[in-house]
Amino acid sequence: MAGFFDRMLTLDRRWIFLFVFLSVAIPIIIPIGLPVTTTGSTRSAFEFIEALQEGDIVWISFDYGPSSAPENDPMAEAIMRQCALKKLRFVVDVLYPLGGLQLANNAIGKIAEEFPKLRYGVDYVNLGYKDGAAAVMRRLGEDIAGAFPTDVNGTPLAQIPMMQGLKSLRQVKLVFTAATGLIGEWWITQVHSQIGIPVIIGPTAVSAPKYYAFLNSGQLVGMLGGMKGAAEYEKLLRGRYPQMAKFYKTTRDFTATKGMDAQTVLHTIILMFILLGNYAYFRQRAKAARA
Amino acid sequence: MNFDFGRVALVLLFAIVPIGGIILGIRAPALRSRIPIMVGFLAGLVPIVSLYVPKNFISGPTGMSPRLDQWLIILAGFALLLGIVNVLQTSIRKITRREAGWPFAVVLLAGLFSTGSFGIHGAISGQGIGFLPDGSPTPFKYMADWFFLPLQSTIFSLLAFFMASAAFRAFRARNTEATILLVAAGLIMAGRVPLLELFALPFPGLQPAAAGASQFLGRTTEWIMDTPNGAAQSGIIIGAALGAASMAIRVILGIERGYLGLGKGE
Repeated sequence: MAGFFDRMLTLDRRWIFLFVFLSVAIPIIIPIGLPVTTTGSTRSAFEFIEALQEGDIVWISFDYGPSSAPENDPMAEAIMRQCALKKLRFVVDVLYPLGGLQLANNAIGKIAEEFPKLRYGVDYVNLGYKDGAAAVMRRLGEDIAGAFPTDVNGTPLAQIPMMQGLKSLRQVKLVFTAATGLIGEWWITQVHSQIGIPVIIGPTAVSAPKYYAFLNSGQLVGMLGGMKGAAEYEKLLRGRYPQMAKFYKTTRDFTATKGMDAQTVLHTIILMFILLGNYAYFRQRAKAARA
Repeated sequence: MNFDFGRVALVLLFAIVPIGGIILGIRAPALRSRIPIMVGFLAGLVPIVSLYVPKNFISGPTGMSPRLDQWLIILAGFALLLGIVNVLQTSIRKITRREAGWPFAVVLLAGLFSTGSFGIHGAISGQGIGFLPDGSPTPFKYMADWFFLPLQSTIFSLLAFFMASAAFRAFRARNTEATILLVAAGLIMAGRVPLLELFALPFPGLQPAAAGASQFLGRTTEWIMDTPNGAAQSGIIIGAALGAASMAIRVILGIERGYLGLGKGE
């Protein structure tokens, strides 16, 4: 046993890599179905959207790339599903340059397939990508067509029925940003602070701690923090809409709920390695002190 | 005739003044630094003044400030171009000098040109960057879906391996501060996932107790995130904002000149 703990201090990191690989791969292939508990920030985001009226407009911004897609994709999709179920209209834009547009197009394609009654240009619009995130946000507050003269297909906004009455971001009821990096924060500083539109953010788990300050100050109405936040949102959707319970149970696509199984096993493995490493470290220190 | 003061003032301040400055700067080198500082001063001043002066020419929907925002969007596009030029310069230099890792620069340039040309072709031909009329993906979409997206996901997912390895090596309770960090990190890692339910899976009798304990752990985690973390984050954000504001004032007043890229003598 003593030899085991001594070896722990000089453990080849490839063993850790192997454990990490297995702890992620196995629960994705064979889901465990662990329960998810909801937090206040996710519940307030969900209830805020539930309180909106049919026909209200929600602005959904894809501010992330493929690097954080497993965390952000399920959030954006869950919000779009809720909008479709509540008959809210939604506008999608992309402000993240590295692959954000492809992810938005894929997510919208998926939602359009799930809800065949959704009509493009009437129930939802995809404005595509625009460079210069903070400047775009400021411009959206005054004149949407000034920032996005056409939609993603090149159709002028004046020819899109839904956009004919929507001239400024001030007319939307909510901004949801699925964000990695700084762009999410700009929605708070450039849009909420200056125009007053409520903002819900879906950051990656790494950047979530920063947004607690904005939650506490009331500048965010809710937050879906990382994959856990997305899984909580899926749970709330399943609880409120029976058709979603069936959907999330049967879909073969990746969902945050499935991802949480892998994350739980991985956290357990990392925690065990940290505990073992510390025990071995203290053993060695005690041995050195005795010597 | 409706005289658009905002538009005229913007053109005057940000087009005629800089062009005049460039022409004069050829003959009078001392002007080379003064004109950009003047442009920086005005560009910084317009959005600030627009917040306090509710007049159409500056803060109205077609006033100077919203128009300046639109100009910023156009400028941001040029920044992308600048990035491409920079990538080209460094990669070509690497290849011609046969520096270490030069084959990767060749792959980078091949990716840049092929993806860029597919995108430009999609824009010029009108087929776009999504799907073709027959439902098949455009070459750009094919490249994005089957090369770019998986590659970027792969690179990022490698982080999980290195973070786990780094956590094992670095998270040692060597002193009081490290111990506090270790305990907080351990609680957050355990509280963000249904860890206790995972341990209770083989023992159905223990599952209700595990669920209760897990909820308590979750509430503790939320308290740590909400209170100590929220307070610390507020302090960091306020400090950073004050720093950014003071830097902005330095740029507007021409005290900070590093961005001009001029030599010390200028």
